[in-house]
Amino acid sequence: FATPQEHPSEPAAAPPATPQGYAGSDTCVTCHSDIGDHLATTPHGKEVFASKASQGCESCHGPGAAHAENPDDPALRPSITKLSKKQQSAICLSCHDGRQQFFWHGGTHEKRGVACTDCHSIHAFKSEDNQLKAKNTTEACLTCHKDVRAEMWKSSHHPIREGEMSCSDCHNPHGSQTPKMIKAVSVNEQCYTCHTEKRGPFLWEHPPVRENCLNCHVPHGSNHIKLQKTSVPFLCQQCHSNTRHPGTLYDGLRVPTLEDPSLSSNRLFNRACADCHNLVHGSNDPSAPYLGH
Amino acid sequence: QEAAQGEAKGFSFTVDPLVLGYESVSNDTDSAKFVEYRDFDDGPLGFLRVTGASGDGERYLDLNGTRIGREDGRYTFGYGAVGRYSLLVDYNLIVHRFGNNGHMLFTRTGDGRYEIPDATQLALQNAITANQSRLTFPFLRNLLAPYLATANEVDPRLQRKRLLVRADLGRMAAFDWGLELFQEKRDGTRPFGATFGFNNVTELPEPINYTTRDAELSGEWNGDRGGLRFGYRMSNFKNDTPTLIWDNPFRFTSSTDPGAYSAPTTSSVNGSALGIADLPPDNKASQLFVSGRTRFGSSWFVNGSAAYIEMKQDDPLLPYTLNNSIVGIASNGSTFDPTNPANLPARNADNKVDVTNFTAQAGRDLGDNLDLTFRYRYYDYDNKSKRIEFPGYVRFHAVWEPIARISVPYAYTRQDASAELGWDIGTRSRLAFSYGLQLWDREFREVESSDENILRASFDTRPLDRLTLRARYEHGDRSIDGYDVDAAEATFVEPEASTNIPTLRRYDEAARTYDEYNTQAQWFASDTWNFTFGVTGRSEDYDKSQFGLISDEIYQYNAEAAFVPSDALTFYLFGQWADRTSFQKARQSGATPSTNPLDNWQVKFDESTATLGLGLTTTFAERWTADLSVQRSDSNGNADFTAFRGGLPLASPGPGLPARTAAQDFANYEDTELTAALAKLEYKINKQFSLGLSYLWEDYTIDSFILQDLQNYLPGALLLDANNGDYTGKVFTFDVGMRF
Repeated sequence: FATPQEHPSEPAAAPPATPQGYAGSDTCVTCHSDIGDHLATTPHGKEVFASKASQGCESCHGPGAAHAENPDDPALRPSITKLSKKQQSAICLSCHDGRQQFFWHGGTHEKRGVACTDCHSIHAFKSEDNQLKAKNTTEACLTCHKDVRAEMWKSSHHPIREGEMSCSDCHNPHGSQTPKMIKAVSVNEQCYTCHTEKRGPFLWEHPPVRENCLNCHVPHGSNHIKLQKTSVPFLCQQCHSNTRHPGTLYDGLRVPTLEDPSLSSNRLFNRACADCHNLVHGSNDPSAPYLGH
Repeated sequence: QEAAQGEAKGFSFTVDPLVLGYESVSNDTDSAKFVEYRDFDDGPLGFLRVTGASGDGERYLDLNGTRIGREDGRYTFGYGAVGRYSLLVDYNLIVHRFGNNGHMLFTRTGDGRYEIPDATQLALQNAITANQSRLTFPFLRNLLAPYLATANEVDPRLQRKRLLVRADLGRMAAFDWGLELFQEKRDGTRPFGATFGFNNVTELPEPINYTTRDAELSGEWNGDRGGLRFGYRMSNFKNDTPTLIWDNPFRFTSSTDPGAYSAPTTSSVNGSALGIADLPPDNKASQLFVSGRTRFGSSWFVNGSAAYIEMKQDDPLLPYTLNNSIVGIASNGSTFDPTNPANLPARNADNKVDVTNFTAQAGRDLGDNLDLTFRYRYYDYDNKSKRIEFPGYVRFHAVWEPIARISVPYAYTRQDASAELGWDIGTRSRLAFSYGLQLWDREFREVESSDENILRASFDTRPLDRLTLRARYEHGDRSIDGYDVDAAEATFVEPEASTNIPTLRRYDEAARTYDEYNTQAQWFASDTWNFTFGVTGRSEDYDKSQFGLISDEIYQYNAEAAFVPSDALTFYLFGQWADRTSFQKARQSGATPSTNPLDNWQVKFDESTATLGLGLTTTFAERWTADLSVQRSDSNGNADFTAFRGGLPLASPGPGLPARTAAQDFANYEDTELTAALAKLEYKINKQFSLGLSYLWEDYTIDSFILQDLQNYLPGALLLDANNGDYTGKVFTFDVGMRF
């Protein structure tokens, strides 16, 4: 089988004669005409592919002459799935080795034995973009990351299930040098790409905010407003048990009811603490050292 | 040029599809939640995709329009030559609705200005002044009722308009160059907790008028044994409504007294006629980055990246207050007008942060089956902001507090180092162990230094062609060098005694251990059936924390089955059960931190979420395609409180409330149910035309302690009370599809 070393990285000057052991693409499509027809409509059917992969189908699949001569012998089929995941990916990376794949080596997916062809398909893709086996990027990720699918259906969520965002808006599945395959250099820098107003820096800072948005929020879905890990006011009280109101017990007695709303506390309903501490992500107001007046 | 024209003539286009339809919508409660991120509305609907290819097949053109003309529409244009150059223009509209049919006494009279008619303000002020001795909630509710009955309606909603232009410029001087330009406009409002004090929250629709502009130029070179990438990115954020000013419903004339921050109560009816809040300031960031990778010999790989980011914010500072009855007191005892920004110690924020990020990975193969990978990451957040000392501040627009405060340039450095040993067991299995160390160094926080040891093991295998098993386990143990309780007082020029419970440990810094695991089996039982089963869990223990977050555990179980007997039929079914439990402790205090264990209280949260889904796509009778999907998510949470007899939490549950014998649990720690069913039916008349019908049905209920029974006026809070609750929504669509 072909290995990356066998693939020239620069365009060939002229198509070489079919080397020994190779059948040639024309031979392949005599039986696999449906694949050939489909491939012609994709980048792998274009000149740019031919310029990088002088053996056509066999550039990826390896020499197929033996298979062509004896097509019923499964042992002779040049099937890529017979290879290890690492070898499978090496075939793709022999051309697709830059850009998004710049940090494939050493990345989580590479190390966990995920191959390019686990998500992408050369011959039978379903997506409009990126030749994915699933119908879109998010569905491709959810093939393995089942827990995230359920998170997306929670009441508070990013607009992923509505199709306004996809996993790859924040993550690079091909490898990144930031934990969790985040595209930016940190979680916060990633969040700031859409929530730029929270980037600051501010006159009065809330230090945990600056260190990691995920100290208080979960990104994929929550039962609590604003993607909070725990609902306010209790989220705040995990750190603030100060004198007077921060450390006060706000339990079921103080929840508003239509029967007797007078018992309710404005530290417990609506946005709770954030109704006064409205600038929890940072404040520029000289009179707001408490991140709100 | 002639050649180019010739090629252009050779472009062939395909429209596949052009869909013209009509959407009919019903929403029984007009809840904004149904249309939170969507623009469902009665009216025409259009989709378009045009693809083109040059005669030689090397150049392409792609035009795509989704939900054309709607507030959630998206338009993309792509043009390029495969592998040579490309241009992408993407214009994406995202709507975010926060609530419908809210009410407020205010009228927006300008950018960032909300006013109440003077006559109303004066009448309310006179009423509370004349009745100060009986300012109870019922009195104030009755006082406001006629005004709220005719209040202005408001639908807080935000519209994002995101324009991205990305050009792959092709290869020049051995480098592939890329240029990216991005602009996002955000317009609208969102609920904002404006406030005049403990008893006078005045929720408002915060005006949003943001523009973000980014630009990036990058170059990349890749050779046989390595690559290099570099670039520069700049990002500017601008807020065209930087200040919010709003009227106090209960004060027409500004006044002050030492207790005015708690007005209106029987002890004070004073305060400011105007509130002022600083909305997000303009900011800028720029980033230089470079990345590289290479291979040494046949077994080493090394890659790494470095980035330098500079973030700046230098907006003018607002005055301390707009309350002209307040007299500011300087550190030397002299007085000044706090409404005049000239009397601030600085006129601008002068904030600056430099981030240095460096990452590196190096790995080598040890023989045929073993490999070793080292990783290192250094992230330094160096806050170079100017420290500004203020002689005091105005509390709730009402009272000058002569407590000097100083801004604090919090900073930190995080380092991650790890080594991973991997063992490829044949071509089907891999076992890996890793040890990692995470170090934090902070300035001005409670924990200056912490280290976390992290052990990981993972095993991935394909014991059979049709079976994949994955398992990962991780254990972390974080220790800290100490905990400086007084660090929380860093913004005080003359730090007072800490007001927090001294044995509370903030969980983001605290000592802890955690265990995390993730297992998954994917079984392709036959050519038509496949099954997936998975279990994930994470357990965090803060066993050295006496107060604060003590433990947090989540377990998730999922299963999925798919049946794909042919291209004409696809069926899947999935389910997940998740259970999360967290436990936290606090202590209620009066004016000074309590030392009485009977003042402790604690709460255990238990949340479970069941999610089910199924989908069916089938083609039948040659011309018909049916698509059905159903999703259901059912979350149920409980909050169980414990407090002790003889302690403050039970003896002093709130102003005017009698003592009690037990804390009161609640069983609606955000209980939600969402069921969504979507059915689509398509009939292909011929190759060119098709007819489509679709029907979406959604039913949503929420029972939440924090949102239940909200009204425009509740104790101490004048709310918008915009509808974001239960609904049953239906969308019926009929369309005609054309392809040519």
